[in-house]
Amino acid sequence: MQNEIKSALGGNKTIIKATGLKKTYKMSKTNIVEALKGIDLEVNEGDFSAIVGPSGCGKSTLMHILGLLDKPNEGTLIIDGDDMSKINEKKAHKIRAKKIGFIFQGFNLIPSLTAIENVMLAGKYGGMKAKVRKERAKELLTLVGLTDRINHKPNELSGGQQQRVAIARALMNNPAVILADEPTGELDSKTSLEIIEMLKKLNKENNQTFLIVTHNTEVADACKNRIKLKDGLND
Amino acid sequence: MIEILRNMWRRKFRTFLTIVGIVVGIFAFTVMGSMALKLNKMIDGGKKYITGQITIMPKGTDFATGQMSGMLPVDTLNNIAKIDGIEAVEGSVSLAVNEPNPDEPVSISMSTPPTINSLDTSSNFKNKNWETLDMKEGKLINKDSADNDISIGSTVALDKNWKVNDKVKIREKEFNVVGILDKTMTGPDSYVFMKLPVAREMYIDSNPFLKSLKDRAAEASNISDVELAKLSPETRNQIIQAKTFNVEDVSTMGAVSWKNGADPEVIVAKIKNQFKDQVVVLSPKKMGEQIDKASATMNAIIYGAAMLALIVGIFSITNTMVMSISERTKEIGIKKALGASGRSIALEYTLEAGVISFFGGLLGMGLGALAIIIINSKMASKGAEIFLLSPNFLAGVVVFSFVIGIIAGIIPAIRASKMKVVDAIREL
Repeated sequence: MQNEIKSALGGNKTIIKATGLKKTYKMSKTNIVEALKGIDLEVNEGDFSAIVGPSGCGKSTLMHILGLLDKPNEGTLIIDGDDMSKINEKKAHKIRAKKIGFIFQGFNLIPSLTAIENVMLAGKYGGMKAKVRKERAKELLTLVGLTDRINHKPNELSGGQQQRVAIARALMNNPAVILADEPTGELDSKTSLEIIEMLKKLNKENNQTFLIVTHNTEVADACKNRIKLKDGLND
Repeated sequence: MIEILRNMWRRKFRTFLTIVGIVVGIFAFTVMGSMALKLNKMIDGGKKYITGQITIMPKGTDFATGQMSGMLPVDTLNNIAKIDGIEAVEGSVSLAVNEPNPDEPVSISMSTPPTINSLDTSSNFKNKNWETLDMKEGKLINKDSADNDISIGSTVALDKNWKVNDKVKIREKEFNVVGILDKTMTGPDSYVFMKLPVAREMYIDSNPFLKSLKDRAAEASNISDVELAKLSPETRNQIIQAKTFNVEDVSTMGAVSWKNGADPEVIVAKIKNQFKDQVVVLSPKKMGEQIDKASATMNAIIYGAAMLALIVGIFSITNTMVMSISERTKEIGIKKALGASGRSIALEYTLEAGVISFFGGLLGMGLGALAIIIINSKMASKGAEIFLLSPNFLAGVVVFSFVIGIIAGIIPAIRASKMKVVDAIREL
């Protein structure tokens, strides 16, 4: 409700604005793949949006570019007011640390670290002091319902629990946006629902902005906005 | 640091193998380096001594075989002493403490064998670099000492278990130990100092040719001029020649000191110029250079061999880090996705290589030091330690191994830092 009011009043800040994003991959001299052919996209504060499209339409490529894990060949990208075309890799990592949170399909926790250490790692790269990191990590793991699992390693947690640790990690630095790439891809339907409900709750209560790549219709249905892609273009 | 240790523990077997490579290299470096330190100390002492005087050897001395004629006429030494700039000249005698064993003509040792060295207590000669010898116990023989008083080096004291005031036998002659020198880590540790006339007599007695000359001179001195005239010309000549033998001409070496401000090389040139048919002169500067050259060669061989072992260790670490980084591409991708800078990734992996090498170095150094202590303690009873255990060197070895690890790890670490995030996470 709050989000609709804000939107109606035009009070929502633009978190991501992408214009004409293009990305080509040169596999060989003759084999060039155009993954993105000119994508436009806008994500505002508090949005709970999904990027949908058939397999190979460029969803993951778009996610990588929006997350500053890759660079477009053409187009502009503005994240929370910063023009990414003017930022080199030496500064991009700081923006990744502080403004963008990631949730991956395969959870991608560091196997040798415990749940709390995995969450704290994000804080370390975000410039948080050690004591503050620990407190915040505990807080977030409690928020995601893992108080009694903070000292467990990933191989001692279920898939759903691992994804919840990943969510806590993504929230660590109060990012402007959380990018989730198929967050329920490796979970059963019951756990998938739990995860999506958690993300929705975070969006509603904390106004956290989410952009979720999914080919799961249930997940897409749970999102307020849909950005459709087809063959590297907006659909 | 905890994460580094954890990563090492996760790959225990590989970490163990890598550390073993470093242990072997550092062990070799520690042991051979300590041997080089000991040898260098000995050589430094020798160099200090040889460059503190102008050494004169009898003409005909063969440096290759060490063969000496043993005759350095005292008149020659007295004439040399008249050269401008010379402070004092002294003749001396040296010979082995132990009579040669025909059953063991050759023995190989890392230290100087026990040697009798004469001291001319009536001379005011002093080596420029070694004016005094510090005593551990008792005193150094002087002009007031009895003829059979001796002062001995620390190695001799240990090897023969001789103490001050002991009555001892050297080459069937009895002597009284009046002093033991402080440890010098070089030549004097193996010396027995006795008065020059006594040493001369022992040298003559050990040399059949000189002994026969002396005996014939003694016989000749008992023949009167009247009796001499009655002898055949040939025999008369032989006896006249025998009479010319002078015990004081027996010296295996002469030493020259120079006045303050005088240039020893100028004095060397003068002696060579005036006495080239009688003596061989060793220039302090040239001797120093020869010693430096030999020392450099020896050090190069010793350290070169140790470095080879270390290079193997370096490659071992580099290999481990390359494999480790390859296996942890995903982890690097995650960290970069979370905001880790290339620099922090490079630092993490470089440090990990340094820590692995540090532990290997610590263990290798520890084992090396232990081996040295054991070997030295076995040799200590003879005062012939082979190694010099230096805390600074050992600390330096450990630091060096850490640095080696850093160097070995830096290239794989930089490669990891430059890994494109999107390529790394494609492995996810």
